[in-house]
Amino acid sequence: MRQSGAGAAVRATCNVLAPQAGRPIPITGELTSWWEMSDILHFASGAQTSDEEPAVPAGETPAPSWSDLVERVRVGEPAALEELYLIFSKGIRFYLCRQLGPQDLDDKVHDIFLIITQAIQSGDLREPDRLMGYVRTVVRRQVAAHIDHAVHTRRHQTSLETGIVVRDRDADPERKAILHENMTVAMRILDSIPKRDREVLIRFYLKEQSPAEICREMELSETQFRLIKSRAKARFGELGRARLSHRIGYLQKLPHK
Amino acid sequence: MAPDTNRHVDQEELESYSMGRIPEEECVRLEEHLLVCDSCRKRLAETDLFIASMRLACARLRAGARPKKTPRHGRSSV
Repeated sequence: MRQSGAGAAVRATCNVLAPQAGRPIPITGELTSWWEMSDILHFASGAQTSDEEPAVPAGETPAPSWSDLVERVRVGEPAALEELYLIFSKGIRFYLCRQLGPQDLDDKVHDIFLIITQAIQSGDLREPDRLMGYVRTVVRRQVAAHIDHAVHTRRHQTSLETGIVVRDRDADPERKAILHENMTVAMRILDSIPKRDREVLIRFYLKEQSPAEICREMELSETQFRLIKSRAKARFGELGRARLSHRIGYLQKLPHK
Repeated sequence: MAPDTNRHVDQEELESYSMGRIPEEECVRLEEHLLVCDSCRKRLAETDLFIASMRLACARLRAGARPKKTPRHGRSSV
């Protein structure tokens, strides 16, 4: 009874937040895929253009009183459920989308909130101050379960030779197109920089050599190594923005129907 | 001891995380912080995109591919 009560409470909260959908959706904007979001964020939000490292936000993210929030959720306070959802929904969504792609994202987020609130309301969360750690654990477990399920399904379908192909994220044409476009930008950058810098980037990003190894073998200081990477990243942002403004200009010239 | 999840993630950490090179202990702190920090999530998304593109481009260049020439008008040159 208690569990179904928790589920109803979460659904009620979600309905408050997303009355039309009747299930959780992000408060601001719909995240459809990590690469799409990356594209939008990168080219629309003004990535760094200098040789400096991207700015880390100043200060810290203040943490609310987790034990207080947990206690209010435990007793079923609707505002506390809403607060829990507001604090964690975007982060959970981001993590799931990054790991599993955009398929059934709303349902997955909803399931995770059910698990969390049921655990709190049944007293299973033993350290309320470690709520963030608990949320992370639940999300990771759910991701692992989805991956296990996908692997099992794929094996089963292969063994039956039904001819049904389980969807492969890498085969997503939209993802392929966006990555290809960004890869072209990266290729132009690699083609334009000194051979030595290109070698550093290939060693780091493709061969996955450690920074220490690269610096030792190429006789670079750590600062020089970081500068080569940050310059390439800054140039990537510049070219991306130029491409975006070119597209916007083109779209604005199109006749309106 | 609970990790310090209030502190923002620096660029090197984000890059290590994106490339799967971060130690588990640090991964806990970082992922807990990402759950509640919008700005660090945005920076991670940018980093993911850059690394994925750079990996593909490095592989292509090593395989002998050349970047396509694009018209200069309306676009910046490198």
